[in-house]
Amino acid sequence: MSFAVGGVIAYLVLGMAGFLVRPRWLCGVLALVVGTTTLALWAPGFPEEVLGGAPWGIPMVGDTMAFWFWMLTLVIHGAVLWHERARPGPFHPLLTLLCGTCLGTALSWDLFNLYVVLELAALLSFLLVGYEARPRAVWAALQYLILATVGMTLYLVGLGLVYGKLGTLSLTAIASLSPGLSDPTLAIGVGLLLGGAAVKSGLFLYGLWLPQAHGYAPTGVSAVLSGLVVKMGVVALARIGAAFPVGPSLVALGIVTGFGGLAYALWEPDIKLFLAYHTVSQLGYVLLGLGIGGPARYGAVLYAVAHGLFKGLLFLAAGEGIEATGEREIRRLAGRMPGPVALGLAMGSWAIAGIPPLAGFVAKEALGGAVPPPFSVILTALSLGTAASFSRLLPLFRGKGKGAWGGMGALALGVLGFGLWGLAAVPKILHPAPWIQAGAVAGAGYLFHLGLHRLRPNWPRITLDRGTTAILVGTAVLTLGLLLAR
Amino acid sequence: MAACALAIALVGLGLWVLVRRRNVIWKLLGLNVAASGAILFLVAVAHRPQGQPAIIGPEAGPNVDPLPQALVLTAIVIRFATLALALAYVIFLTERRHTQDTRRLEQGER
Repeated sequence: MSFAVGGVIAYLVLGMAGFLVRPRWLCGVLALVVGTTTLALWAPGFPEEVLGGAPWGIPMVGDTMAFWFWMLTLVIHGAVLWHERARPGPFHPLLTLLCGTCLGTALSWDLFNLYVVLELAALLSFLLVGYEARPRAVWAALQYLILATVGMTLYLVGLGLVYGKLGTLSLTAIASLSPGLSDPTLAIGVGLLLGGAAVKSGLFLYGLWLPQAHGYAPTGVSAVLSGLVVKMGVVALARIGAAFPVGPSLVALGIVTGFGGLAYALWEPDIKLFLAYHTVSQLGYVLLGLGIGGPARYGAVLYAVAHGLFKGLLFLAAGEGIEATGEREIRRLAGRMPGPVALGLAMGSWAIAGIPPLAGFVAKEALGGAVPPPFSVILTALSLGTAASFSRLLPLFRGKGKGAWGGMGALALGVLGFGLWGLAAVPKILHPAPWIQAGAVAGAGYLFHLGLHRLRPNWPRITLDRGTTAILVGTAVLTLGLLLAR
Repeated sequence: MAACALAIALVGLGLWVLVRRRNVIWKLLGLNVAASGAILFLVAVAHRPQGQPAIIGPEAGPNVDPLPQALVLTAIVIRFATLALALAYVIFLTERRHTQDTRRLEQGER
């Protein structure tokens, strides 16, 4: 454990030092080196240990999930560090602090420590979203701040209810009491905890801040937020799921967010908002896997990591495309993006649509092979929708002229490498069935996309007040569900 | 019990203001009343009958639960930092957009 904690502390200290040392990116590079070294030292994991000693210390666990999220954090940090190397001001210190917080989140094993790291990550994200001081992005950051604070207020009340009932916040201690949710106070408390964490993960109807915050943030920031930071809310949901029997609630949240995000994405004209709605939708896969549990849990972790890689790549490419052309609308970007940018966008889209042998294919297969039949139909429907919606980007894949790869190169290699690793590691993936299915889903998605413009629903516009109301109503529904199901 | 109920009522009041008011300063006020309610709720949870402040001293007696009180300190610091950043953003938006009305702020501009 000491290596893992040392890695987190080194990240935070180097992040702070980065405000003073020049060049600004230097401390980020050092942090990346220390982080990679410490990961190599604590891999493949460690059992629960209490930092500072029982009973008041902070419990930490290095499980499979923590290991994979450390890998993801280091890769994304490296890619964005390289991509944004020329950005002036305190960008890199903030980025290093944010990545360090994410490393800490992955290890956290008690409810209050999760609250602290989630809040810290959110505070740094608010700063980074508004970093370029454009009114639209600052407004998105302020909306993010208000909605996230509402969520965390609910979380804190839930934490108080759970602590008042059980007298502990450590997940291991709670799980060993195996409380069940038959007590109404506990059911309400857990409902509020789930609602708060759902706001932080940007789930549909809970985290309506996500599309705007991710859509209007600077290029590298969008990649970090979508690839990494929303996953920390998912870590919190998974940890709550490890202590309380809330599997069915997570499955329900997963289905709602999967289809809700997709419904908005299918007709969105702005490319970055389109990608942001897809982040909402893809979280549905992850939650479905976490809620079902067992082997599907590992599939969900792999999916979260794969999504971080290809969504980071997509956001970097989209941001570069927007900067090169000055256009944000998908149809206006067609054929105008520089060569490497178009290729990066193409690779990310193939991966998210599940085309072999890229990361999306193996992650979908690792998850899809582990869930029972009714849910695998839902996953296939989601994949079909994703393929349909990314078919809209096809005209953009033809590039024009030369350009730099930047951090996209690292993430493209990551998407390819993860796919090749998966071909060797995921069971039953070399049978013909998954390959045929992937091709069929992508083909059907393309055909579905040809008819998309015929049905063009007028979804309600997302506003701050609607977002707030959605959090309150959504959490009330979740809590009522837990109360009625006991 | 009464203290817990009062704290929850504060959360409700704050959220009500947050949803109903259109001015962003009012919204932040509501948000912070709600957040303070959650913090007071944790303090109320720590209550024990005849509990004394949990300071280690010569005479041992019934103490309030020290853990929530320690947690609350962290939560207060986080709320402070978040509010400060929110107000900085409001100042920026007021200068650029000349309004604090959330419905006008929502009507886009790059």
